Amino acid sequence: MNFRKTTALALGLGLLLTGCAQSADGQQPAPAAEQKTAGQAEALATSETWAKAAESGMSAAFGILHNNSGTPIALRKISNAQGDQIQIHEMRGTGDGMTMAQLEGDLVIEPGKDAVLAPGGHHLMFMDLQESLVAAQTARLKLEFADGSSTEVDFPIRNFDGANESYDEHAGDAHAGH
Amino acid sequence: MPGTSVDRRLLLGTTAAAALGGMLTGFGTGKLSAPAPAATANPQGYRPFYGKYQSGILDGQQAHAVFAGWDLHWREGSKKEQLRAVLQMITDDAARLASGRGVLADTEPEMAQPGGELTLTVGLGQSLLDVAGRGQIGTLPRFAGDQLDEQYGQCDLLIQFCAQEQTVLHHAVRAVSKNLRGLGARRFAQTGFINPGGRGFRNLFGQLDGINNPGGELRESAVFGQPGWIENGTTLALRRFEMDLDGWDEVDGAGRDHALGRRQSDGAPLSGASVDDPVDLAAANELGLPAIAANAHVALAKPASADETMHRRGYNFDGAASGLLFASYQRDPATSFIPVQHRLAAADALNTWLKPVGSGLYAILPGVREGGYLGEALLGQV
Repeated sequence: MNFRKTTALALGLGLLLTGCAQSADGQQPAPAAEQKTAGQAEALATSETWAKAAESGMSAAFGILHNNSGTPIALRKISNAQGDQIQIHEMRGTGDGMTMAQLEGDLVIEPGKDAVLAPGGHHLMFMDLQESLVAAQTARLKLEFADGSSTEVDFPIRNFDGANESYDEHAGDAHAGH
Repeated sequence: MPGTSVDRRLLLGTTAAAALGGMLTGFGTGKLSAPAPAATANPQGYRPFYGKYQSGILDGQQAHAVFAGWDLHWREGSKKEQLRAVLQMITDDAARLASGRGVLADTEPEMAQPGGELTLTVGLGQSLLDVAGRGQIGTLPRFAGDQLDEQYGQCDLLIQFCAQEQTVLHHAVRAVSKNLRGLGARRFAQTGFINPGGRGFRNLFGQLDGINNPGGELRESAVFGQPGWIENGTTLALRRFEMDLDGWDEVDGAGRDHALGRRQSDGAPLSGASVDDPVDLAAANELGLPAIAANAHVALAKPASADETMHRRGYNFDGAASGLLFASYQRDPATSFIPVQHRLAAADALNTWLKPVGSGLYAILPGVREGGYLGEALLGQV
């Protein structure tokens, strides 16, 4: 997988409309097309992606990740240019008793299926923002899959009062400091 | 003798130039007029969002409107980039809402349906044109009789929301306002309503408003013709007039018609017999006096030339006070709205019952293509 190609995807409307948005630092414009490497990343189609505005500390990103291929794809690692620690989280329990914790293992998306990242459900978690996520700007995240392929996805940043789920303090080891 | 007292009041109003300003009802000549165009919504109740022009301007008026204004806050860094981000977000919001979808992060996306012919029309004050570094529309001057309330004054950003139904309208205003939280302070959300008809609507004085709006190509030319501040863009003059309805109650039918220059009943000019007849300022009545008084509203509002033509798309409001949200679209306010409003502010017989409390001028952005954003022509390519 040592070659790269640029694919202009027919993405969801939301992404197209923010295609000229700058990156999260608010200064550097970014190209509209996503950079994808061959492999599982090629099968990914995203829509309705967004991230929760936050000045500092924790935040989260959401959206629909669709597997366009005939084989499962496994999302393993999330990163960004700011070097934030970003985890894949799941919610445990029900109702008011729900807590979140780092997903154990990869986020596997079956062929033709969606992984829905949403408040109250699975989400991508910024553990301690290096730079603010400013509403109306766009966060660009690099999504890496189990086979080493990767793609970059834009998450428009929006105000959101929800997504304040409490942590399961006993789950995993990634929540030190919170 | 109530009729006598009314006539004296009208005369006094003229000579005292108690000028409060107003431009409520029909002006122009009959041959310029045309019925409002049929609504352009598809069968699902959605009006187009993408196009050469923004929607909510040339298309028929919906029953409900909210004109919302914001003053933007700025973080460190390029203001132009921050403005671009805001306009990209609003474009995304508007495209979604106009097609019955919630905005990103929407907690009530269900409220975006059914469509209700929702339109969002986005404009910038001169302050934001200055941030963009392009475009010159200026601001409205102070008009005679203005008693402006700061809360209805000039803002940085103006969005006209219109819909046939209030629930979808409320959701749209709230969804956009939530997304703009922290990026700006909302100065006002001025709510309006009309009962749309083929020949304008009844304002709260009971008059038919909008009879002589230009139609078809004349409307397009008045609004989007050149020279304008930008190709496919226009300007919006937004004024808020409180009406003294208790005082208006004391005016009899003849006095009302005299002040307007048209019959309240059917909108016919006092110089003619039917609503389609032209406003003829030279016409005399049976006593040999001008059929339309020199200080009648339509006499002063009548465009002195084609350059003065504008397209009015106003709404009634009520609440603590009642009145008219005057909204006019014109390619160049310096040749149309401003001189006409100065004439009216100086002498309009209706001024007696009008109090202007809000005033603003906005550069309405060109329409947007799919994949683009509102203001792209102004802010340029990244």
